[in-house]
Amino acid sequence: MSDTDTTDADEPDRAETGGRAMTDGGEPDAETDGGEPVADGTGIVAPDDETPTWRERKERTQGLGRLTYEYFERARREDQDLRTESDYIERDVLAFPTWPHEMIRNLSLTSFFVGLIILLSATLPPEMAAPADPSTTPAIILPDWYLYWSFGLLKLGPLNPELAILGGEKLMADRTYGVLANLVVVGVIAIVPFLNKGSARRPVEQPFWAAVGVFGVIFAATISALSIKNLVPIDSHLLFDLTFLLPFVGGFITYAVLKTMREGYMFSLNRRYYRLRPPK
Amino acid sequence: MSLERKEEHDHKGWMEERDLTPVEGAYLTVLIWLDKRLRVVDYLEVLEDLYYKVNLQMPKSHTEQYNLDNKFWYWYPLYALGSFSTIAYVVAAISGALLGFYYAPATTGDPSSAFNTVAFIMTDLNFGYMLRSIHRWSAQVMTAAVFLHMLRVYFTGAYKEPRELNWILGIVLISLTMVFGYSGYLLPWNQLSFWAGQIGVEMSLSIPLIGEWVAQLLFGGFTLTQATLLRMYILHVFFLPFVVTALIAVHIGIVWMQGIAEPH
Repeated sequence: MSDTDTTDADEPDRAETGGRAMTDGGEPDAETDGGEPVADGTGIVAPDDETPTWRERKERTQGLGRLTYEYFERARREDQDLRTESDYIERDVLAFPTWPHEMIRNLSLTSFFVGLIILLSATLPPEMAAPADPSTTPAIILPDWYLYWSFGLLKLGPLNPELAILGGEKLMADRTYGVLANLVVVGVIAIVPFLNKGSARRPVEQPFWAAVGVFGVIFAATISALSIKNLVPIDSHLLFDLTFLLPFVGGFITYAVLKTMREGYMFSLNRRYYRLRPPK
Repeated sequence: MSLERKEEHDHKGWMEERDLTPVEGAYLTVLIWLDKRLRVVDYLEVLEDLYYKVNLQMPKSHTEQYNLDNKFWYWYPLYALGSFSTIAYVVAAISGALLGFYYAPATTGDPSSAFNTVAFIMTDLNFGYMLRSIHRWSAQVMTAAVFLHMLRVYFTGAYKEPRELNWILGIVLISLTMVFGYSGYLLPWNQLSFWAGQIGVEMSLSIPLIGEWVAQLLFGGFTLTQATLLRMYILHVFFLPFVVTALIAVHIGIVWMQGIAEPH
């Protein structure tokens, strides 16, 4: 135990068991054990025994409040224990000052980005399209670009299976199929954290999930291209096939490349890791 | 025994016997005045607690400890995408509020008030063209930044424990951003808006079981009318701003609490 632990007045349990005196190695510690107020000129006087501290007031509560308090105490104790037993290096500088360093960096980044937006708006202003006319359907119907993927998923009709048990009928209408495809895509993205666990962070450490990611990015691009197939100068059947082929190609290439790079990366990473933290 | 009320805690006397600067005196006066009415002292412990929590130092991060900063700083521009989308959101909110002064969500008129007011903003209003341009571009930039932000989070594995909930919250936010964009796309009530709205109605009608109900709720019917435009308008300027702003605050609050996940 270091000295900082023994002077920590926030641990009555240890004081009660008398463990503190033992860990000090016989050296008398009058400042913390004597119960006398420390006259070190700070003007801070420990509360006398009759004044209930916040901790003591919480200790007297009943029911759920009491349970909450007990849990928090346990959690704190656990943290403290983990901190004591680990050889983790605590930061020895306080931090980067918020003002002016951090604020000026943030302000310059913000003004750069806002300037970027203003530059774009000045050079590429929006068009004025024809007014709404329910009686004429235009040749090109489009949502904004960020909804192309969703619009593309509505055009998955050819993938809607015709079931033999229904006598070649489709289980659901093509457009229902497309709307459900949207839900499936969003749902799959939502459960990613529950499928991919573990501490791997970099793509090289998890080639499979990086490949899945690349698959998703390319699919988002190709399904967007499919949604505007009348504007893309490719045969529509070829485009439909490419929509599903390209993501797999990209995914496989990513997997192969990362798998190849992995050994070298992990080797240098581990070397650096173990040099700083030799195995016991 | 005098009739004059004796104060047990003579704060005034205490202040006078001390040699206070005017600033200190004014501060104490205000503090005592507030404390007599609101019992500020009772909350001091909470404030103190918060103060120390804010100033808590995290242990050295993985990148710091193993000298991997280059891996973090190299990717720093990608780590700014979240704040970039927030900035774009703020710019869109300001320019959108200004646009709201001149826009009227009505399909009446020739061809429609909505279209005419947008035309007025674009042609007659001073800086109106620029204003609409800024609003539109900040919306585009926000959507793009949110999408790239999601990719960054995916490829650096930042969604893993303990950040799963924030990942799901992020998916809700990106969806709401798209709804934001979609409802805004419909507001000028031009051909593109109208037929994009038509697709929206058909998509909602395609939802099994609750399709008709959703179409009624979001579009105010099965064809595009004044009700549709008004619903999109309220969604765009009233409902979504509150919901999205609150969710962004929670999203950023959680990031603040948990710290930024670095690849390691």
